[in-house]
Formats: sequence, structure tokens, C-alpha cells
Amino acid sequence: MTKPPATTPVQDSVSKVNDEIAVGEDLKFQRKWWRFERIIWVLFAIIVALDLSGAFGRGYLANSRMRASDHTMDVKYEHIERFSTSSILKIRFGPAAIHDGKIKLYVSQSFVSELGNRRIIPQPESSEVAASGIVYTFPANSYKASVAFALQPSRPGLFPIALQVLPGGEQLRSKVFVMP
Amino acid sequence: MYTIIHAMLGYFFLLLIVRVLSRRPGGQLTLFEFVIVFLMGGIIILSTVGDDRSETNCTCAIITIAMMHQIVAWLKGRFPRFGAVVDGTPLVLLKDGEWQNEAMHGMRIDPEDVMAAARGVGLKSLTQIRYAVLERNGAISIIPQKK
Repeated sequence: MTKPPATTPVQDSVSKVNDEIAVGEDLKFQRKWWRFERIIWVLFAIIVALDLSGAFGRGYLANSRMRASDHTMDVKYEHIERFSTSSILKIRFGPAAIHDGKIKLYVSQSFVSELGNRRIIPQPESSEVAASGIVYTFPANSYKASVAFALQPSRPGLFPIALQVLPGGEQLRSKVFVMP
Repeated sequence: MYTIIHAMLGYFFLLLIVRVLSRRPGGQLTLFEFVIVFLMGGIIILSTVGDDRSETNCTCAIITIAMMHQIVAWLKGRFPRFGAVVDGTPLVLLKDGEWQNEAMHGMRIDPEDVMAAARGVGLKSLTQIRYAVLERNGAISIIPQKK
């Protein structure tokens, strides 16, 4: 014998307006929701303002600069990056950075792993593996030499970066936050 | 993994956006609102699939969104309050010849919208309406005056 389909008796459970028409209106809830909506719109306005200012990357507040006190280099970069979005880190070298017509630059491993270094302009003459980083060698005959790293972060998070002109230059350290 | 997280976040974010925008989807979708729907859909897809355009990635994203939808539907049925948060509740816009100003202003609905729904049921004037109710799906139900 087959089981009969389950049934439930109909109840007049939906609240009525004027005791006449079942609508299920909940004005008390709706008023709370309208208050929530107003808060959300204020929040959205704050988010847009922060984005315009560059607080989420790619804007004025995201740009940063570090200079070595020994005048070996001047680095322009974005300390707030965005996941999988290209950016340029530019290094301008001072005369103290050039030794025997070459510049040796140490960069931390985070440049390649987390910050996703895609390209170096100009291409280095050679690259060597160093302790928790890489040393690039560039031929240089002008003290206005500059190098650009095209970065494309591979994951979100806060990552330390370090750069140093070898031998003996001041090591510049900073942190880059990658927005999701 | 990122695709699934992005799809889940994207689903809830779009749900919030659509919910805080005025409730006029479905039957009353105007050209103006079509722009929002298509533009938001196009933008959210960029972060959902990223630069991985493989079938595996797209399949996982679609399955995730389908599962999110199913879970939300189940929660709506299980918890009526959750249903009210996601879909809202019906609101009376016009009652016994009087506009319910709080609901009309709160939902950004004009008398013209109510009249459009009234014409749909064969009424010729706003005075012929006894009740106008904004339903959860955005449609406006009209109950005519007794003859």
C-alpha cells in the first residue's frame, strides 16, 4: 500500500490589513531595513571616497617612495597593490651605486614569489640566487640609470620587500599590502 | 579555490546591492534598471573567473553560485526572518483611498507605478483602487474598490 502524500491544514497565518486582506506586512521590520539601507549607502560612499583617494591601491595614497641615505637609489613604488593587477616599481640609481660600470641590485624573494615580478626593464646582464633573494647585475655608464620592475601580485596579503645596492649599500625595507 | 571564494562573495555582494536598491526588479524592470543589472553582472564576472578562462574554472563558479542559491532558498524556507531580509516583506502602498507615504517614499515608488499596475487589471483611475500592495517580487498587486 502506497503512503498518502503529506498534507497540512491551511491556517490563516498571514497577518491582515484592516482585518480584511492578508498581506503579511511587517512595517516594524521594514523600518529597521530602511535604517540599515541608509547605513549601507553611507558605507558605500565612504568606500568610493577611499577608492578615489587610492586607499585601496592605484591612487595618490597608494604611491610611496624610499630613498637610501647613501644616495645609492631612489625607489618609487605602490605600497598598496591589487591582486593580479600590474604595477611598476621604479628604481633610480645614484652615482654611488655604480661600480666598474655595473650596478648590482639585491631584491628580496617576495619580488618574484608574492609580488609576481613579470619583467625587468632593462633586462639584467645576469641574475644570481642569494640568501632569501636575487642579485641582478645591470651594465651602467650613467648615474641617472633607472630600472623598472613590472609587478603583478600573485596573492593578497602583507609582504615585506627589501632592496640593496651591492656591495655595501643601505638596505631599504618596506611592506607592500596586496588588496584582494 | 579563489574562484569559489570569489563566486560566494560575489553572490552575497550582488544580493546586498540588489536588495538595497529599490525593489523594482522582475515585472517592473525599466530600461534604466536593465543598465544596472547588465553592468553589475559584467563587472562581477571579472573578479569571479579572473584570468582563468578554463572550462573547469567556469564550471566550478557556476556550480558554486547554484549551490549558494539553493542554500539561500533553503534558509529562506527554514527561517522566515531570513526570508524577510533577502526578499523583504509585502508593503501596503495605498489603503482605502489614502497613500501610505512612508512605504511610498521608502520604496521610491510613484503613483504612476501604481496606476500602471491598476491599468493592468482594467482600472481607469486611482480612485478605483481599494488596496495596492508592493509584493516581495517587486510586482504591485491591485485590489479594486467594492462596487
